[in-house]
Amino acid sequence: MSKQKRELLQGTLDLLILKTLALEPMHGWGISQRIEQVSKGILSINQGSLYPALHRLEKQGWISSEWGSSENNRQAKYYQLTLTGKEQLAEETENWEQIATAVTLILQTN
Amino acid sequence: MLNSLISGLRSLFYKENQERELDAELRFHLECQIEENIRKGMNRTEAELAAKKTFGNITSVKEKCREIRGISLFEDLWQDICYGFKLLKKNYIYSLIVILTLALGIGANSAIFSVIYGVLLRPLPYEKSNDLIYLKQQAPLLQIDNIGFSVKDLEDYRKTNHSLIDIAEHHSMTFILLGREQAEQVRTSVVSANFFDLLGVKPLMGRTFLPDDEKHGAEAVLILSYNYWQKNHNKDKNIIGKVFQMNDRPHRVIGVLPSIPEYPVECDVYMPTSACPTRSSKNTIENRSARMVNLFGRLKSDITVKQANSEFKTIAANLEKEYPEAYPKNSGFTTSLTELHQELTEQARPTLLILLTTTGFVLLIACANVANLALARLMSREKEIAVRKALGASKSRLIRQLITESIILTTLAGLLGLVLASSGLHLLIDFASRFTSRASEIQLDSSVLIFTFVVSLVTGILFGLLPAFLPENSLMKALKDGSAANSAIRWQKLRGALLVAQVSFCFVLLIGAGLMIHSLVKLQQVSPGFNPENVLAIRIRPNWSKYTTTPDYHLLYQRILDKVKNQPGISSAALASTYPLDKISINFGPANQTFSIENHPTSTTEAIPQVDTRLVSTDYFQTIELLLVTGRVFADSDNLDSPKVAIINRSLAQHRWQTQDPIGKRLSLDDGKTWITIVGIVGNVKQYGLNKDYVDELYLPLMQYSGAGNLLVRTRIEPANLKRELQKALYELEPEMAIPEIETMQAVVSESMASPRLTTILLAIFASLALLITITGIVGVMALMVTQRKQEIAIRMALGATQHNILWLILRKGIFLVAIGLSIGVAVSVVLTRLMSSLLFAIEPTDPITFFTVSFLLIIFAILACFVPAHRASLTDPMKVLKE
Repeated sequence: MSKQKRELLQGTLDLLILKTLALEPMHGWGISQRIEQVSKGILSINQGSLYPALHRLEKQGWISSEWGSSENNRQAKYYQLTLTGKEQLAEETENWEQIATAVTLILQTN
Repeated sequence: MLNSLISGLRSLFYKENQERELDAELRFHLECQIEENIRKGMNRTEAELAAKKTFGNITSVKEKCREIRGISLFEDLWQDICYGFKLLKKNYIYSLIVILTLALGIGANSAIFSVIYGVLLRPLPYEKSNDLIYLKQQAPLLQIDNIGFSVKDLEDYRKTNHSLIDIAEHHSMTFILLGREQAEQVRTSVVSANFFDLLGVKPLMGRTFLPDDEKHGAEAVLILSYNYWQKNHNKDKNIIGKVFQMNDRPHRVIGVLPSIPEYPVECDVYMPTSACPTRSSKNTIENRSARMVNLFGRLKSDITVKQANSEFKTIAANLEKEYPEAYPKNSGFTTSLTELHQELTEQARPTLLILLTTTGFVLLIACANVANLALARLMSREKEIAVRKALGASKSRLIRQLITESIILTTLAGLLGLVLASSGLHLLIDFASRFTSRASEIQLDSSVLIFTFVVSLVTGILFGLLPAFLPENSLMKALKDGSAANSAIRWQKLRGALLVAQVSFCFVLLIGAGLMIHSLVKLQQVSPGFNPENVLAIRIRPNWSKYTTTPDYHLLYQRILDKVKNQPGISSAALASTYPLDKISINFGPANQTFSIENHPTSTTEAIPQVDTRLVSTDYFQTIELLLVTGRVFADSDNLDSPKVAIINRSLAQHRWQTQDPIGKRLSLDDGKTWITIVGIVGNVKQYGLNKDYVDELYLPLMQYSGAGNLLVRTRIEPANLKRELQKALYELEPEMAIPEIETMQAVVSESMASPRLTTILLAIFASLALLITITGIVGVMALMVTQRKQEIAIRMALGATQHNILWLILRKGIFLVAIGLSIGVAVSVVLTRLMSSLLFAIEPTDPITFFTVSFLLIIFAILACFVPAHRASLTDPMKVLKE
């Protein structure tokens, strides 16, 4: 845990949420934990932007939500990817890869 | 957009539910975090605190989520409104002042707008009213703008033109209607059978005229106007078929008109041309120069007014060639077409636009005042706003709150303004009726409501958005970092600028009113040329059909004069065809007749001499105390058996005889068939308005001609007290005589000035309102400045400044602002007052006396307004302030 936590790049939060939900339906807490774990603690999610982002994605129709009980037997709001959400994820992933390649290319030039 | 609206609406219903879900969702997150923290080894309290810290501002997150879901729009609006009302109730003095100030401004604008809309903007209430046009036959070389058409003119124009679907004719008469309890004078419109079809008017009951009604010798028929039917016949449902006696003929009622505004004039009954004795006489029909009717037309759909005009010009030119004696070259006869709407409203336009500008300025001044108040209040709210920001309110949300508050205020002001406008509307309708026949159409209708609503809304948004106009203002700072900063000095600049704007607008309005007042004073100083004191003017309408020959008339005249002169309190009486400043003759203008002077033939290139002619009985000059310059006045011996004589006025004498003596010279009104000898010269009289130039006048003795419908009476006592007795005496003498009007001559003179006087009063009211608002504005700004500089003032005083120094310090600041406003005001006025030159009499729009007086007045008021807070500042107790 010595690695310094990084701020998320603008616009990438949506992509990360969609990717996380592509694996299985998850509640807000779970999403933030999962992202932190998978990124080996480099990325941390600010709750102040997580929940507004979830509500926004739901409103756009990319994710949907329902209430269910959690591992610790509490009622939690679970989000899951919709069909259009899957398409959106594919699109955004491709988009991201292109940008990443481009940025890497530029950084590698001497 | 629609989606967010639906979701917004749904969320209003499911609001509780959603709010609970949002709560639960975030609580779950927090609890997971707490459990995680406990697992890491914290105790419960520590874990909770740490979780809350990690999470950040919960309220702010909730607010963001709500905004995304679209709950906010409606819910927040409702919250804002409730909060706004609460605040306004708390600061009720502030709210009251703002509402009152704006209500005055908005009310004035709504009232004037309702007049502008009813008169200038609303289409005429007729079918396809844009195609309706008014025809004018003009004789520019005789300076006659509208000479009317003869029946022959009408026939030719109807036959030859290709631009108009049809032409209808109209002229007004007054007849006596018999068959009811009392002889009744009815205003009658004599119209062609196609008149109502051309306008597209359908009858309320019965029918309108058919072509057969107009045929020579057809049965005389009548159509009643709605107002006359309602007022004089109590909406008699069985009126159709009733027969009344008019002009010694039975007239049968065939229809009643719906309640529509009547153009060109309001009248009681309509009759076809064949029923009017004058219109159906042989002379009227056959004499091409007997011009007495007005013409209206409807354009064909593919023809413009311009095209129609050029066709009618060509027809007029052809007529002039064909009938040179009816259209003399040196009169320059021509015919022009204008849109009916324009013709009916032309006269009202300048006055109404000036009034609208004025009320617009009043509203601007009111807005500046309110903006100033709002700024002062915002300063005191910096802290509150900073706290709300810290508690999670977004910037846009806060601005929306401020705008909501100001819109609540302006909406209330708009409502109150409408009440004010509706209470003053009948006065404005009276006022407008002096300029246009459309006045009856003025009302507070939906368009006025919309106008008021829009004005209120725009005003509200403007002064609610005020903080956004400040580039470096502390409110924005407060919004950004949630800290309250006292930056009063920066605000002071904006308030100073608003004050300068107020003073300059106010100055412009005061100048407008000042010019009108000065011009009215000049007008009232004009001598009418006769003595209106103790004179009654009585309009009499005997049943002319009973009198057929000139001697019959003369007998009636003599009986009337004998009867009146023998009444107590009467010193002299006279009959006349017109009298000075009579509104009817002002409306028609001079009764010009062409004449020739003996041994002075006029060449065909020179304009034919014209003179305004009137018939007067022997004692006319004595009755109105019109001064005889030389020669003699008429005598009873000037009658049908004696040589024709005339009296001229000074203007005609100077104009036609210059240095020669006109007495004994002869002139002719019928191309030399009869010669009239001039026997006297009288003074000039302002016949057609105190603001009008004298015209050349010719007086003829009534007993050598006939036709006089006005009785003038000089009384020994207050003339108003004799009205009733005279009326009674006249009815006794002639039961079939109508007396439509009986007025003191002073009232007649005053009436002739009514429209400039009313315009002046309106402008003066608006200007005083503006001054009052401005003065309170100055007091407010200066008082606040004094409060804010309290410490500075106390220090200055502690360091030895005298009360006098402090007084001057504050006064100087106020006078400086007022002086800037005044200079801008002068510059703007010099440009704007030119627009009102048509309303001014005998003064220039840049009249230096008015400019000087108004500036002086405004400076005095401004200094007084500054003095109050300055004086208070000078009374500051430095020790007390510094200890605080």
